[in-house]
Amino acid sequence: MAFKRAVNEKRSKAKVTRKFTLNPKVARRSFLKIAAASAAFAGLSLGPKVVRRLEADEKKAPYPGSKIVRTVCTHCAVGCGIKAEVQNGVWVRQEVASDHPVSRGGHCCKGAGAIDMVTSEKRLKSPMKRVNGKWQKISWGEALDEVCKRLLEIREKHGPDAVHWNGSAKVSNEMAYLQRKLAAFWGTNNIDHQARI
Amino acid sequence: MAGVANTWGYGAMTNSMNDIRHSKCIFMLGSNAAEAHPVAMQHILYAKEVNNAPLIVVDPRFTKLAAKATDYVRIRPGTDTAFVMGLVNEIVTNGWHDKDFIQKRVAGFPEMCEKASHYTPEVVEDITGIPASEVKRIARILATHRPGTVIWCMGATQHSIGSSNTRALCILQLVLGNMGVSGGGTNIFRGHDNVQGATDMCVLSHSLPAYYGIKDGSWKHWCRVWDVDYEWMKSRFHSKEYMNKKGFTLARWYQGVIQEDKINQYTPIKAVVFWGCASNSQSQYHKLKKALDLLDLVVIIDPFPTMTAAACAKDNVYLLPSSSQYETEGSVTSSSRQIQWRFKVVDPVHDSKDDYWIMNEMVKRFGFHDKFYKNIKKIPDDITRELCKGSLTIGYNGALPERIKKHTLNWETFDVDTLKARGGPCDGEYYGLPWPCWTETHPGTPILYDISKPVAKGGLPFRARFGTEHTYWNGRKENLLAAEGVYNPGSEVKGGYPEFKNIVPGTNWKTDLSQKTIKEAIKRGMAPFGNARARCVCWNFPDQVPVHREPLHSPRPDLVAKYPTYPDKKDQYRVYTRFKSEQRPELVKKFPYVLITGRMVEHMGGGAETRSNKYLAELKPHMYAEINVRLANNLGIRNGDMIWIESPEQGRIKVMAKVTDRVDEKTIFLPFHFGGMFMGKSLEANYPKGTEPYAIGEPANIVTNYGYDIITQIQGTKEGLCQVSKA
Repeated sequence: MAFKRAVNEKRSKAKVTRKFTLNPKVARRSFLKIAAASAAFAGLSLGPKVVRRLEADEKKAPYPGSKIVRTVCTHCAVGCGIKAEVQNGVWVRQEVASDHPVSRGGHCCKGAGAIDMVTSEKRLKSPMKRVNGKWQKISWGEALDEVCKRLLEIREKHGPDAVHWNGSAKVSNEMAYLQRKLAAFWGTNNIDHQARI
Repeated sequence: MAGVANTWGYGAMTNSMNDIRHSKCIFMLGSNAAEAHPVAMQHILYAKEVNNAPLIVVDPRFTKLAAKATDYVRIRPGTDTAFVMGLVNEIVTNGWHDKDFIQKRVAGFPEMCEKASHYTPEVVEDITGIPASEVKRIARILATHRPGTVIWCMGATQHSIGSSNTRALCILQLVLGNMGVSGGGTNIFRGHDNVQGATDMCVLSHSLPAYYGIKDGSWKHWCRVWDVDYEWMKSRFHSKEYMNKKGFTLARWYQGVIQEDKINQYTPIKAVVFWGCASNSQSQYHKLKKALDLLDLVVIIDPFPTMTAAACAKDNVYLLPSSSQYETEGSVTSSSRQIQWRFKVVDPVHDSKDDYWIMNEMVKRFGFHDKFYKNIKKIPDDITRELCKGSLTIGYNGALPERIKKHTLNWETFDVDTLKARGGPCDGEYYGLPWPCWTETHPGTPILYDISKPVAKGGLPFRARFGTEHTYWNGRKENLLAAEGVYNPGSEVKGGYPEFKNIVPGTNWKTDLSQKTIKEAIKRGMAPFGNARARCVCWNFPDQVPVHREPLHSPRPDLVAKYPTYPDKKDQYRVYTRFKSEQRPELVKKFPYVLITGRMVEHMGGGAETRSNKYLAELKPHMYAEINVRLANNLGIRNGDMIWIESPEQGRIKVMAKVTDRVDEKTIFLPFHFGGMFMGKSLEANYPKGTEPYAIGEPANIVTNYGYDIITQIQGTKEGLCQVSKA
C-alpha cells in the first residue's frame, strides 16, 4: 500500500532525487508526503528512521482510487488553493495548486501543513465539560441540552444581553452570517469577532 | 476599515494581490507580509524585480519584509499619521500632487492641506524619529513612481488613532492620484482566511450583515430578507433601545464581567460563547482570565480546546468539538474580495461536528428554528442564497453559490495578471467575482473606483455616501459629487450623481429586494451607489483630518502636552473607555520600553491550530521577546536568557530573550501566537488529556497595554510600554 511505498521500502533501488526532511522550506514536496504518511498512520513517531530517499515516480503516482478535491487554505486571507488527495474518505496527501491564479503553487509552511488540521492528534475528540476540576467526556446530546438550557436560563433571568457571542473569521461566509443572525434572533448586539482586533 | 469606508465608500482592499504586479512603487506600513501573507510576496517581488519598483517598508522593527525592501524606514510606534501627513505635505508643497484627479474626484483638499502643513519634515522628525531628509526622499520616490500601491495591516490599525492612520494612508493615495487604477490602490492585507467575509457578514456588534447598521431601517431590511415580523424581532430584545445600541466588542467584552470600567448595560455579562475564536489574542489577557472565572458559563466551540479551556479555573466550561473547515464546505472571501468555494475534503473526524450542524441543534433548542431556517433547506447553498439576497450594499447578490463553485472548479482558466478568465466556462469574469458583483451576469469588480471600465464590466466611481454638499469649518461650501466629465464609459450622466432610489417607490438600491434599482442603474451605465468625490475631511470623526496624537502610554512625555489624546468616551460600545485620564506622561519612568507585537510565519492567530501541528511546533517551539543588543548588554541579558516583561496593568510574562538588532534600543517585540502559560506558570495540566499543544508559551497579550481606537475600539497593541528584567 501507499504508506509502504512511501516509507517502508528498502533504499536499494532508489534513484535518488531528494531527501526527506522536516524543514518544508528545504523540500516542500517531501514534507507533504510525510504529512500524508502520518495521516494514514496516526501515532507514528517521525524519528530519523522514517527519513529515506524517495523515487521520483513514487512521488508522482496517485494513491489507488483516490480523488483530488480543490479547496482553500484556512490560514491567512491570501486565499491559496490546495489540492487535497482523498482515498476512501481519508485525506492522504496534499499537493500545491500550481494552476491557482493567486497562489500559483505557492505555500507557506502553514499552508503546506494544512492536512494536519484534520490529522492532528491534538484535536478535541468529543464534547467535554469540567466537573470538580476534571475534564469529563459527555455526549453531544447532553452537551447541547445542558449548554442551551443554561443559556436560556441566563437569558430568562438576566436578559438577552447577559450573553456575549464571539464569532469567527475562521468560518465560511455562510456560517459567519448565521452567527450574526443567531445573535439577532437571540435578541442582542453583543456579538463580535477577530476583525475588531 | 472605518477610516477607509469613510473616505470613499467601502472599507476593503481596493485592488488585489495580483494587481500589485502592475505597481511602480510599493509602500508598506505596519505590514510584515513576508511572514503574515507569504504567498502574496510573489506578486510584490514581481513588481519589485520586473518593474524595478521601489519597495518601501515602514516599521518600528526590521522585519523579514524589511529584509526585502529597497528602502527601510524605522518609525517610532504610534506615529504613523504624523509621518504619512508629512509625506502628503511634502508632496503638496512641491506641487507633486495629481491636480486633475483632485479637482475632479476629491473633496476637502484645501482643508486637509491646511492641517497637513503642520507636518513639516522637521516636525515629522521630532515626532517619528525619521530624519527630515528621509521624509523628503521617500516623498520624492512616491511622486516619481506612479502608480504606486499602499499596503498596511494591523501595524497601522492597532492604535488609539488607528482610524486616523488608515485615513492618512487613503489621503496619501488620493493626493498621488493612485486610486481607481491598476497598480495603485490601498491594499489592506487582512489577517485570518475569512476575515473579509466575516466582516462583510458583520459578525460585529455595530451592524447587521453587509454593513446595514443597527438602525430601524437596517432591522426592517433584514427582517424582510429573513421573512420574520419586525415586531417579533423587537420583542426578542430587552427594549428597542438595546436593539439600536452597539454591543460589546471582542476587545472589551470582559469588562462586561469584571466592570473595572463602568458599563452601560442593564446587566453584567453572565455567559460567553467562543465560536472559532481564541481568547489569548485579546489585550490585557490577565483581566480577561479574571472574567472567565466570574462567568456562570463559558462555551468553547472549536476544533481544538484553545487556551481559553486551560485558562478557565472553574467548573463553568463546556467544550464542543467543531470540525475543521476542511470537513465542511462554504464560501470564503479573500483579502482581494474574491469569493472562493472551500470544498469539503473529508467528513468530520473523531466525534466532531460541522458548524452548521451545531448551529442547527442549538437553534432547535432555543425555540426559533422554524423562523431561523424559514428560507434555508439545503445547507449551505440556501444560506448563500439568503445572504446574497440581503447583501445588496456590497453587491454579494450576484455571487450565487453555483457561480462561486464554477470559478473555484475552473481556477486554472484565470489570467494571473488580470485575474480575468480567458475562455472556458467563466470567460470574461474576474476570479472569485470580487464584490461588488451587481447582477447574476456581472463579472465582479477587480479594482474599486476604476472609471475606465463600464460599471457592467467591473468599473465604479467613488461612492456617494456622505450627502451632496458640505460646508467646512472655514465656511467653504463644496459639491460632494464628482465633477463634470468624470464617469464610467456608457454612463447616461456625464458627471457626478447621487445614489439611486425610488425606482421602486419607498426603496433605494440597498433596500429594493427585487434588485430592479440595481439593474436599472447598470442598464444606464451607472453605479447604483452614485458617483461622488472621495473625502479628505470626515466631519463625522473626532479629527476631521487625521492629526497626530500621542499614544496613551507615550515614551515621549514632552510631546503629550502638544499632541494630547482624546477626551474619555463614556459609552463606547457599552463601556467607559479612558483616553485622557489614561494618558499618564510619568508612566515612562517606570516602564521605559515600547512594546509591540506581531506575527511569525510558522503560527497563526492565537496559535491553537498551529501549535497543535507537530511540524510547525518543531519549527518554532518557543515564545520569545526580541530585545536590542545594546539594551540587552546594558541589562546584562544574554541571548536565550529568561526575562520578565511587565506591563503598567500588572501583567507579567516570563519569556526567552532573543537578542537582535531587528528592534531598536527602546523597543521590545513579542509574537502573539503563544498560549498555555500564564505569568510564569504552565497551564498544561488544565488541558483535556492528550490535547495539550506541542508548543506552549506565554501569551504576549498578558502584557499588551490599555488603549483602544477612538472609532472602532480596536486594541492598541502596537504602542504600549513595558519594563524588562532578568528572570
